[in-house]
Amino acid sequence: MQHSNIFDYKRYRYFKLAVIIILIAFAAYLLFEPAVGHYGGSWLGYALGTASALLVFILAWYGVRKRRYRSRGTTQGWLSAHIYLGTALTFLATFHSGLHFGLNVHTVTYGLLLVVVVSGFFGNYAYMIYPRLMTENMGEENLDGLLLRIAESDKMARQIALLMPDDINDTVARACRETSIGVSLLEQLKGFQPDCPSAMAVQKLTSLGNDLSVEHRKLYRDLYSIMVRRESLVRRARQDLMYRARMGFWLYFHVPFSIALLMAMIAHVLAVFFYW
Amino acid sequence: MKISHNSRGLLSRSYRTISSEEISIGRGAECTIHLLDPRLAMHHAVIKKLDDGQLYLVAINGELSVDGAQLQNVELTHGKTVNIGPYQLKVEPAPPDVNLAVSLSLQQRLPDDFQDLKLRTHEPLRGAASFKRQFSLWMVALIALIFLVLPLAQNLIPAVHKAMAELPLGFDRVWSPGHISNSHLHFGAQCFNCHEVLTRKVADKACIKCHRDTPPHIADPALQKRVFKTTSLFSDGIRCAECHREHKAPHPIARQDNATCVKCHANIKAADANTKLPNIHDFDLDHPDFDLTFRTGSTEGGAAQKTERIPQAETARLIEKSGLKFPHSQHVGLVQGPNGIWDVRELSCTNCHQQEGKELRLKPIVYQRDCQLCHANQLQLGSKNNTFSVPHGAEQNVLNALKAQAPKDLARHLDTLKTTGCAYCHEVQTAQKDEALPWRITPVQINQDWFSKAHFNHASHRTQQCQSCHKVEHSESSADVAMPDRKSCLRCHSGNKPKYKRITSTCMSCHDFHSSHIPQETIKKIDGKKLNDTAPD
Repeated sequence: MQHSNIFDYKRYRYFKLAVIIILIAFAAYLLFEPAVGHYGGSWLGYALGTASALLVFILAWYGVRKRRYRSRGTTQGWLSAHIYLGTALTFLATFHSGLHFGLNVHTVTYGLLLVVVVSGFFGNYAYMIYPRLMTENMGEENLDGLLLRIAESDKMARQIALLMPDDINDTVARACRETSIGVSLLEQLKGFQPDCPSAMAVQKLTSLGNDLSVEHRKLYRDLYSIMVRRESLVRRARQDLMYRARMGFWLYFHVPFSIALLMAMIAHVLAVFFYW
Repeated sequence: MKISHNSRGLLSRSYRTISSEEISIGRGAECTIHLLDPRLAMHHAVIKKLDDGQLYLVAINGELSVDGAQLQNVELTHGKTVNIGPYQLKVEPAPPDVNLAVSLSLQQRLPDDFQDLKLRTHEPLRGAASFKRQFSLWMVALIALIFLVLPLAQNLIPAVHKAMAELPLGFDRVWSPGHISNSHLHFGAQCFNCHEVLTRKVADKACIKCHRDTPPHIADPALQKRVFKTTSLFSDGIRCAECHREHKAPHPIARQDNATCVKCHANIKAADANTKLPNIHDFDLDHPDFDLTFRTGSTEGGAAQKTERIPQAETARLIEKSGLKFPHSQHVGLVQGPNGIWDVRELSCTNCHQQEGKELRLKPIVYQRDCQLCHANQLQLGSKNNTFSVPHGAEQNVLNALKAQAPKDLARHLDTLKTTGCAYCHEVQTAQKDEALPWRITPVQINQDWFSKAHFNHASHRTQQCQSCHKVEHSESSADVAMPDRKSCLRCHSGNKPKYKRITSTCMSCHDFHSSHIPQETIKKIDGKKLNDTAPD
């Protein structure tokens, strides 16, 4: 069976559909301009608005569809349609607006739509890029395996450090005790901790290694290499967390703003018919 | 004594007796009590006698604490407990042959590295589901409140409506779909000023609250009502708002395209079976040729002008009866002046046709301003040595002047005026029997408003030469009509759609919807007066 992904699903079926929708809408937009300029209340505006509203409901239904194991069509197909039709929707809604914006429910609805679409694009990007980067970062390991290896390094480092001077022992102990991975949301998204105890320990060890007695030298070399390896493990764990956080973070916007968009759209349509 | 836990978690004790002056405690292998724990210093503390002869625990590189207080020296008396890093040292009852008995027990075990690290490693986006749920609910609630509940409350709850009406903005302002035109902006922030009833389109009576003097499109009130109030399933008649589109600023509020006009005028018989108007879609396509409005006299008492409209195609009837003898051909370009053959003057149209107002409408021709400069000697009588002038004006005034100036030659002078003086420019009629004068001047009746159903703006055409529309260079008679026809307009103008090198011209370019049945001259006169009697209901 031919390998396909969400973008070339069924030979770009939904891509073609989206392009056709956009072209038809654009041609209509160019050809039928009302005397007072484009606006949502012309017949073309109503047509574009109705089509946009239908698309919003179809796209929102994807959220329900993907949680069901049995339903019409494949989830892959639905996602492909979700992405391409979402892009087409942005064009339709823009034509529907006639590029008139103001401080009102109509522009708020459009703004919410843009937030949903842009966050969706980021999600799309995240799912295109990060899985590969995650594999590159982790290889065949998982986060727990990485943590286990860090814990082992902790133990070994501490054992060696027991025989070392106090400042080295303290540095190692502190690094083992205080290293944390992805505690705050910002740290998870950045994938980087500016004052990471592990990195600082390696730095400090470098400066502490200069005036050691002969019997400590070999131990120091072992300890240093363990701590450097440990730091790279910590960094990889943080990277992994970053990718996973970024792959989920866009949904903080995509989902709540979609729900808000549905509400705003209902208010937008009702407002139009409350005040003709 | 070292107290530890065995593999089953039970307490076990191991005893050791040390003979030494000082007992060092620490991580270092050389320490007397060697405790392998990274939380201890290499040389953490030492037990020794101080100057007062008592045994003390003295901190070296590590820290000692008693009941949470950090101390440098701790006197080791019976029952004393001291924390040395994770260990607790307790002074036990000493057997008789021993100076000091202490027990050491590990109080804080080294945590399991993996479990400890796991505790410090957070799952990505912890609590995402509940955050998304909460965030969604708050946003939905906020949007529903601001954009639906509050505006509806203002409409449906009279108390809220009353309270909000006093404020510069209403809650329903958020429903406004676009900018309000400047002229309506001062009340436009309160929607109820126009949108009087929820779910109903803006009715004409909302407009008429201010625009009381707007005349209707059709003169006959019954027909106006029938045509404009015809409702259907999808339409509740032709409202003001069909053409006057608010919330579209900076676009002009009145629609400028033909679409709404053509709705009726493309099939005008459907609106009024008795109408004589033809069907029209577009000025370029099927607009009929123009009708010219001729004055045919005035009503009794002279209150209003009687007029007749004659199609331009009927050229035989296009005769202006102005009462003047005026060949335009002799008044354009280089012409002979009144002072002999060397008096050559160049005349342009505006020498006689004076313009006024921002639309550059032409003032009516007046002798004193427009003719006298050249034609004064037509009113001069008498011999070379004894000339005198008679005034321009009513015949009686001329007669009076003649009686005063030359009573003896009255008959001769009157005859001169009849044949060459007045008659040089005016048509002269034979007088009625009861009149004092033997002849009289035909009343001058110069047409001022040829296109009474349209609105022509000379100012918009000021870049053009007069002769490009008015062909008067070869006109020998004042009966000639030099008004441009539809074809000459179409040289520069197109219809509703733009054409190459032609200006788009809609119905509204020439016609005024609200005063289509009122002549332009009348509009000028009634400017500022109310037209309540003709306002649409």
